[in-house]
Amino acid sequence: MDFIMYLVLFSMILGFVVIASNPSPFFGALGLVVLAGMGCGILSWHGGSFLSLVLFLIYLGGMLVVFAYSAALAADPFPESLGSRWVLISGVIYLVGVVVVSSLVCGDWYEVIWVVMDELVDFSVMRGDMGGVALMYSWGGGMLILSGGALLLTLFVVLELTRGQSRGALRSI
Amino acid sequence: MSPLMFSTLLLALGLGSTVTFSSSHWLLAWMGLEINSLAMVPLMARPHFPRAVEAATKYFLAQATAAAMILFAGMTNAWMTGQWTIEMMTHPLPLTLVTLALGLKIGLAPVHAWLPEVLQGVDLTTGLILSTWQKLAPLALLLQLPHGNSPLLIILALSSTLIGGWAGLNQTQLRKILAYSSIAHLGWMMVILQYAPSLTLLALLTYIVMTSSIFLLFKLNNTTNINALATSHTKIPVLTLFAPFILLSLGGLPPLTGFMPKWLILHELTMQGMGTLATITALTALLSLYFYLRLSYSMSLTMSPNNLLTSPLWRLRPHQPTLPLAISATSATMLLPLTPAAFLVR
Repeated sequence: MDFIMYLVLFSMILGFVVIASNPSPFFGALGLVVLAGMGCGILSWHGGSFLSLVLFLIYLGGMLVVFAYSAALAADPFPESLGSRWVLISGVIYLVGVVVVSSLVCGDWYEVIWVVMDELVDFSVMRGDMGGVALMYSWGGGMLILSGGALLLTLFVVLELTRGQSRGALRSI
Repeated sequence: MSPLMFSTLLLALGLGSTVTFSSSHWLLAWMGLEINSLAMVPLMARPHFPRAVEAATKYFLAQATAAAMILFAGMTNAWMTGQWTIEMMTHPLPLTLVTLALGLKIGLAPVHAWLPEVLQGVDLTTGLILSTWQKLAPLALLLQLPHGNSPLLIILALSSTLIGGWAGLNQTQLRKILAYSSIAHLGWMMVILQYAPSLTLLALLTYIVMTSSIFLLFKLNNTTNINALATSHTKIPVLTLFAPFILLSLGGLPPLTGFMPKWLILHELTMQGMGTLATITALTALLSLYFYLRLSYSMSLTMSPNNLLTSPLWRLRPHQPTLPLAISATSATMLLPLTPAAFLVR
């Protein structure tokens, strides 16, 4: 299990590096998907399995749109793939940078460790993150309604910005 | 834009700031800021020509970055200390993060670059909202933060007053000059924030009065660059006579309102034993004064060689309401006798 965890953590760093080394948008979005998946893996390993499931589903739904948008926007016959020279060079530089910085601050880091939320992993009916979801609907109900209102406003704002045929979001530029 | 949509957006613009004012919880404060800036974006893109859409895009990018940093700082605070209260953000890491993010939101100097670009792209009414109402909610958060003895605020303040004066020297566009003037004034508010927060509020109030009057004046005059100012006495002679007083009040010359916050801030800084800081801040205000003087000069104190000058326009009844301009211009020039004495006797 520890080995899988190391693998997941390493893939997460790789995902960061792929995004940061500035390839064309397809590959950047791919790195983002890898990053999100690995983040959900870490979250579920630490006891938030329901949260990681919700995050993964919603995030992949958003990533579908990002993929479609980047495929439509960057119709590039020769995209900068991960093996292109500058992408590769900056990726290697970022990886070395991560190794150097983490070896410098590694000693301070291991003191604060994330504990697993549930103590009775096998026999408890109530998982920690399920309890959190229930609390969000009961105690945090007012805040939840306000957040929903903010999202509704976002919908109106986007509709107003893209209203009509000629008025796509950036089409006037 | 349909009237229903317009009123919804204006309502959300007011509601977002009000939610932030009334919250003591970081999530709610962040949500108010989000609502506020989201409602502002379609209002900026309303004329829908390329420059306005560009300004709206730039505004959205800067504000979204700042809001994400605020949320991140609030969550880091909750992770480290286990509570979300705004006044209790005592750990230096989230405190620094959130101070910088709020500085990005209102346009303080190392992170100010979006403000002139955005303000130049929107019309004068939206620019008025942007430089008055949009500053209130982040400043309310900044006032509630427990700054100890924070050198970060001094750095933000000094660079704001310096860059706000310095970068404004080179401009010919009025809205950019007003943006740099806004940056410089916010620097004056920041420099006193950790010593006397009530003086920050006073400086904010006087700044809002002065900048409203100058924005409304330019809107009535329908000018957006210095060249167009030269013919303004054919359109509005009395206001042309009055405009240097408003501009010099923004610059902070003595018998006018703008002198009050600068005087009290310098007084307080000197009383706290920070003579060097007070001197540098006062000297950077001279840079701002230079471009206010140039605006006054080209608007009212000179006659440029132009045959339009000899042909005044017809004086028709103005189409837009002039009462707000009358009130704000009067208070921008004549409020100095109302200086609260409590600040001076300490």
